[in-house]
Amino acid sequence: MKEPSGGKLPNIALVGNPNSGKSTIFNHLTGLRQKTGNFPGVTVDVKEGRMQLPGGREAILTDLPGTYSLYPTASDEKIVAAVLTNPADAHYPDIVVYVADATHLEKHLLLLTQLLDLNLPVLLALNMSDTAAEIGIKVNAAKLAERLGIPVLLVSGRTGENISKLLVEMDKLLAMPVPDRKNFYLLSDTEKLVAEAVRHNLGLSNTYQALLVAHHHDWLPSLSVQHRSTISAIVQDKNFASLKNQVDETLERYDQFTPIVQDAVQQPPQFPSTPTDRIDEIVTHRWLGPFLFFAVMLLVFQAIYDWSAVPMDLIESFFSELNIGLKKYLPEHWTTDLLTDGVLAGLSGILIFIPQIAILFFLVTLLEEIGYMARVVFMFDKTMRRFGMNGRSVVSLISGGACAVPAIMSSRTIGSWKERLITTMVTPFISCSARLPVYAVLIGLAVPAKRVFWIFSWQSLTFGSMYLLGVVAALVSGYILKKILRTREVSYLAIELPVYRMPHWRNLWLTVWEKVLAFVIGAGKIILVISIILWALASFGPGDTMEQAKTVAQAEAAAQQLGEVATDDLIAAHQLEASYAGHLGKVIEPAIRPLGYDWKIGIAIVASFAAREVFVGTMSTIYSIGSAEDDVLLREKMRTATFDESGLPVYTLATALSLLVFYALAMQCMSTVAVVKRETGGWKWPIIQFAYMSVLAYLLAWIVYNLFV
Amino acid sequence: MQRRYRTIPDLKAHESARALAFEDPILAGKLTAMGLLPGTLIEMVRQAPFGSAYYIKADGVRLALRKEEASSILIDA
Repeated sequence: MKEPSGGKLPNIALVGNPNSGKSTIFNHLTGLRQKTGNFPGVTVDVKEGRMQLPGGREAILTDLPGTYSLYPTASDEKIVAAVLTNPADAHYPDIVVYVADATHLEKHLLLLTQLLDLNLPVLLALNMSDTAAEIGIKVNAAKLAERLGIPVLLVSGRTGENISKLLVEMDKLLAMPVPDRKNFYLLSDTEKLVAEAVRHNLGLSNTYQALLVAHHHDWLPSLSVQHRSTISAIVQDKNFASLKNQVDETLERYDQFTPIVQDAVQQPPQFPSTPTDRIDEIVTHRWLGPFLFFAVMLLVFQAIYDWSAVPMDLIESFFSELNIGLKKYLPEHWTTDLLTDGVLAGLSGILIFIPQIAILFFLVTLLEEIGYMARVVFMFDKTMRRFGMNGRSVVSLISGGACAVPAIMSSRTIGSWKERLITTMVTPFISCSARLPVYAVLIGLAVPAKRVFWIFSWQSLTFGSMYLLGVVAALVSGYILKKILRTREVSYLAIELPVYRMPHWRNLWLTVWEKVLAFVIGAGKIILVISIILWALASFGPGDTMEQAKTVAQAEAAAQQLGEVATDDLIAAHQLEASYAGHLGKVIEPAIRPLGYDWKIGIAIVASFAAREVFVGTMSTIYSIGSAEDDVLLREKMRTATFDESGLPVYTLATALSLLVFYALAMQCMSTVAVVKRETGGWKWPIIQFAYMSVLAYLLAWIVYNLFV
Repeated sequence: MQRRYRTIPDLKAHESARALAFEDPILAGKLTAMGLLPGTLIEMVRQAPFGSAYYIKADGVRLALRKEEASSILIDA
């Protein structure tokens, strides 16, 4: 964590099982004053935020990942053990608020008893106490407090009940001295020997903490190499059987706290058949379940694809009006162009994604909140695992059909690093909405509209093949990556399917807000920089070539007696050819000639790295119809285009198909690169992804060209 | 290999049995922490749509387990 200003704010940690409703309590306590904490090597977001205690004192609240015990099996659960076994950790809490589900208290106390043995000042917040009361569970908080020796409070994240009392209790607990309790779990003789040896070695004050370090010494990030080997020697010397001891300890703890729960909690005579069971009969049904899922996904797809159109158009027209206005009032100078065609175009390219990101995260978080996502994981675990992914990856892949940017951001809830990385790597293969205009122009240009079979035409079949190609490329790549990537993680499904419940709207809005902000700040910078670079490439040429191109074009236009618009289009075409981008197009021509492309397509490929749909606009500019924005006219121009040297037509069926395959597979999208960089925390994976996708696109485009030429 | 015990995949839908022991020690740690202990009453709810995963209830808690995971949990007759 970055040092909080003032340096000495107390640390408060929220700890609890998954599905305990911790995050809702966290959102109540911090509101918008939260951010993603800096926990290196973590796959799941860990939030932290500032909060104010009743006395006016500020504190840092950390929402540690949900875990069932301090013996973790997944990387996000490991954070909890790593922080709580290391008093020197920047996140080591001064006090802990333990959040437990009051409706399942007998399953939620294991971890609490472990915290008690760590001698941490703990406060027990019994969440969902309103639901518990509704279904007839009576919790005697006073008795629980007495038996556990800690403050106990009934709260509700849903209604906000007793949250203010919780704050008062937190303040009180911070003022109290560190407790000295007797241990809940009594260590066996071997455990005692090992723990004492480790405790002396590391200078720890707590025996249970030392025992945990002994259990986790092979992965705890805080241990030095020397300490690790010393502890390893101790463990071996004492014949310490870590796995067996973990289970024994867990069972012993259950024996200890189960009577306490029975004493303090009055259960209803029997569990009635709950709505959750009835819903799951349909939702996880063998045939209905997947069917329903695809119906829901169709809705999600429709939402990001269709409902985002209006706000996206608004953003786009706002920027284009602003652009035109600025050009009118500002002097004609390259700095004006930098502002309008560079910076503003970049900003527009960032903000244009907000509607899609907001809609996707609203829906995905909604599905997560009501408890549906766990069912998706259950249903698609096997199918996706074959391709190195997770049940949740289905959501990312389907969303990728609208746009890879929000889709990749949504893979963040995948707990396993490997499965999440593979999802991130293959999602851009799915044909997104930005490829549509490219497909439309090329298919209309080269594929005959003739019908085959009854209702299909060659054009619609080619269209469908492009989508299929993307899906196959994604799955095959996932399979290959699964074989290549090595990981020490043991993968388990073993998840709880939580009770269905109403969403907390506050959680939803906060997530949407946080994702939009993360994209604009995290990926926006990169998009802006690339956008300016691409603008410069297309606006400047070596020496005075740009001026010369203008003079030549003007002379040509005068000779042909062209009007003002046509003259401007011709100048734009000549200048683009003379620019650095034009030179780049010509430089790469030998490389793309085997695919059937000329330098003009080369320019379009360079320029459309900004976004695939830029291909169409760039082609229009090259063919001197930049102002027309007319697909039919563009197709006419392209149809008659010939290679400079041979005079043969450029856009044969072979070239068009090869270009289609290239655009289906190549990573022609700076925003995706930026988002992958943000999500993987470095340039390594986006670079590998870019190279892999480009090479694959090149190879397959080459094969297709040679098949049809 | 001769099998002496039944495991969770042997349960038919809505059939119940008590968990006896775990064959996978890492999974044992995870499941006990989730509340599935030796002696816990387990009910088979249903199989996953494409097979190879199970939806079970362990003492009222709904869990999803892979086939390999479910097969490592021994149950009484």
